Amino acid sequence: MIDRRQFIKMAATLSAAFGVSNLPAEVAAALKKINPAALPKLIYLQGLSCTGCSISLLQAQSPSPATLITEYSQLAFHADLSAVSGKKALALIESFISGQAGPYFLAVEGAIPYKMPEACVIGGHPFHWYLDQAAKTMAGAVAVGTCASHGGIPAAEGNPTGAISLREYYAKTKVTKPLISIPGCPPHPDWVWHTIVHLVKIGMPELVNGAPQLFFGHKVHDSCPRYHDFQQEIFAKKLGDKGCLFKLGCLGPDTAADCPTRWWNGGQTWCIDANAPCIGCASPIFARKKNFPFYRLTDGQKKAIA
Amino acid sequence: MKIDLGPITRIEGHLNVRTTVDNGRITDAQCMGEMFRGFEVFLQGRSPMDAQQITQRICGVCPYAHAIASSYAQENAYQLNVPPNGRILHNLVQGANHLYDYLLHFYQLSALDFVDITAILKYQGKDTELLKIKNWVQAELAAGKPFPAAPFLPRLSGNYISDTALNIGAIKHYLEAMALQQKANRAAAIFGGKFPHSTAIFPGGCTQSPRIDLITTYISLIQEVKDFIHNKYIPDIVAVAGCFKEYWNIGASKGGFLSFGLLPLTSARNSERLFAPGVLLDGKVAKVDFGSITQDIKHAKYSSASGLKVRDSALTPAPNKTGAYSWTKAPRYNGRMVEVGPAARVMVDYLQGHNPTVKKLVESFAAKAKINAGQLNSVLGRHLSRAICAAVIADFLLAQAEQLDPKGPTMAEIRIPASGEGYGATDASRGALLHYLRIEKHKIARYECVVPTTWNASPKDDLGNPGAMESALIGTKVKIAEEQIEALRIVHSFDPCIACSVH
Repeated sequence: MIDRRQFIKMAATLSAAFGVSNLPAEVAAALKKINPAALPKLIYLQGLSCTGCSISLLQAQSPSPATLITEYSQLAFHADLSAVSGKKALALIESFISGQAGPYFLAVEGAIPYKMPEACVIGGHPFHWYLDQAAKTMAGAVAVGTCASHGGIPAAEGNPTGAISLREYYAKTKVTKPLISIPGCPPHPDWVWHTIVHLVKIGMPELVNGAPQLFFGHKVHDSCPRYHDFQQEIFAKKLGDKGCLFKLGCLGPDTAADCPTRWWNGGQTWCIDANAPCIGCASPIFARKKNFPFYRLTDGQKKAIA
Repeated sequence: MKIDLGPITRIEGHLNVRTTVDNGRITDAQCMGEMFRGFEVFLQGRSPMDAQQITQRICGVCPYAHAIASSYAQENAYQLNVPPNGRILHNLVQGANHLYDYLLHFYQLSALDFVDITAILKYQGKDTELLKIKNWVQAELAAGKPFPAAPFLPRLSGNYISDTALNIGAIKHYLEAMALQQKANRAAAIFGGKFPHSTAIFPGGCTQSPRIDLITTYISLIQEVKDFIHNKYIPDIVAVAGCFKEYWNIGASKGGFLSFGLLPLTSARNSERLFAPGVLLDGKVAKVDFGSITQDIKHAKYSSASGLKVRDSALTPAPNKTGAYSWTKAPRYNGRMVEVGPAARVMVDYLQGHNPTVKKLVESFAAKAKINAGQLNSVLGRHLSRAICAAVIADFLLAQAEQLDPKGPTMAEIRIPASGEGYGATDASRGALLHYLRIEKHKIARYECVVPTTWNASPKDDLGNPGAMESALIGTKVKIAEEQIEALRIVHSFDPCIACSVH
């Protein structure tokens, strides 16, 4: 376990990286007490990833992006934003993971190609080399997204790289540093920074399967605005219909996430509001099995193909 | 001497470029895609309708392009008749995604190659956001900690813009662009369900209803983005071009150009598109034939056969193969190397005299910058071409949104046949994107993606001819061989996406 002081540091670091605003006064005050010059920084690395998590983090509405990258920014390295490239970038990363540049937290997006290390290389080193080095020096780690949390799409059945999650990798390599998973393909930007608010205000959040209970404690189905349709047996018969999407394959009943109350892209919409069945993107089993398709065919369609 | 420029930042993914520099000039370049997941392997045996979801995860920067290409491929394989609303909704989400991607590319991914971020220290105005940055940079520099003002510093050595007002204006727009890309993505999410990774796009349409309130919000958001494009994005590109005129003549690729066209005008199969498809070889534009595309793998890390056509493709990873230096295959058109992307899209349309707005914009910018249309094949030409695409697409989206029929169907009803095949071709923001699907026993028997950066960042082909980006680098003069900001500007002008290129 990490102590409260470490929690606050971690929280401040992450809030710096991803941005926190509209904070309750107490939280803002707690953050102000921390000397920014002494904050541990964040090193954000990508493994078998699509950068979708990073792009999602750029969709955070509050604070403004300006605030994210100025007063709150402690993002020492991110491949999509860092000005520096090549050997100078490697020197920066290596000075952190060797422990020479002060305290830092590691954020990882993407899975780890456990059986084919050549499938992810940065600066001549396999990706896992950075994870191994960081394990000795980091204060803790955040697995950003479903690939880093659970393996995700790169770990789908039949994959050639033996992809595994960060949690699995650190379990295999017997690393016991604090690790929080924030699944979602991609994760909602709020899930990341609200976790930090919780850390600052109260301490380590309650975790379910390593993810914050606050966001992942209930199934999508349980708080779905169409739960009433489900009870009344008003089911969508084909894609594009309104009503409960369960019979089209909606994975809301199996997926823990607060999308039904949070909504996406600045509260504009979310999957089920757009009549799109939940595909379980925050679930540990997301996309993993070939014989578990995202969508179920309706009776009429089954007859047509029989 | 050989220099590795990787890891190259401000792109998507894992790219190294190994250059050979002799007497201050790049004499050889190897584009090394360094991340492999194997999508075509694990797609086999899945339901075909999983494909538009799974293939979006090839790339979280341009997921909608993959959803659209996969949907087109499935529409062809299922022989769907798409209702007008269905095609318009596809266009509304894909087009909005292009707008976000152009803004992200110019400001977040490219601007720091040209703009001097340290100019903020000279800022004397009263803008709250700029003052916050100025104070932050000052505090960072004064704190005496390692790597102050990261991620904006350190940076490569080189000549940055010296005009303080221009630098500060660009920094302000860097910040504003962050908010504007969100608006474009919010617009796309209205009918896409969320962004990144849409759940509401299907073959034949989208599941969201074209309600009048949603249409109104969409139009309002795109109008804001359009205003930014005309009032800030285009003027900024012109200003940067004015400071770096030599880049109209740096970074030309040495092959042909390919575009699959973009945004169908109607729901008919093979409809005319807003940007016309075509392949430009030896100065002439010809019709695209997917059968002319093959993929070489002599220098790619696979042991499967080389030179296979798209519908015959195979993929056996061989991570330690001798002589292979990239996970990216080398696609060729009739054996010829081609560049794809915004410059290809604009040139292919312009040379066919297809879209009058494209013609007008190309000629007016060319006159102002004193260049010819052929110089779109350059670092600045690629940036300008993105802006031209952005202006044309924004107008088209506003018109298309008005054409939605709030009472009409938004989707075709889908029936997956026991067997079938289909190509799906579109232009992603980064260029020509092709998906191929073959169905056997209601499952995916083969799936192949030939992605924009597969073309642009391709390694040498079996004959030893370089890929587009390699050819654009070879011959370039560099001042500081260890850093090569000139090479970085060339690479960034292609907007490479390695997650896409290898997948």
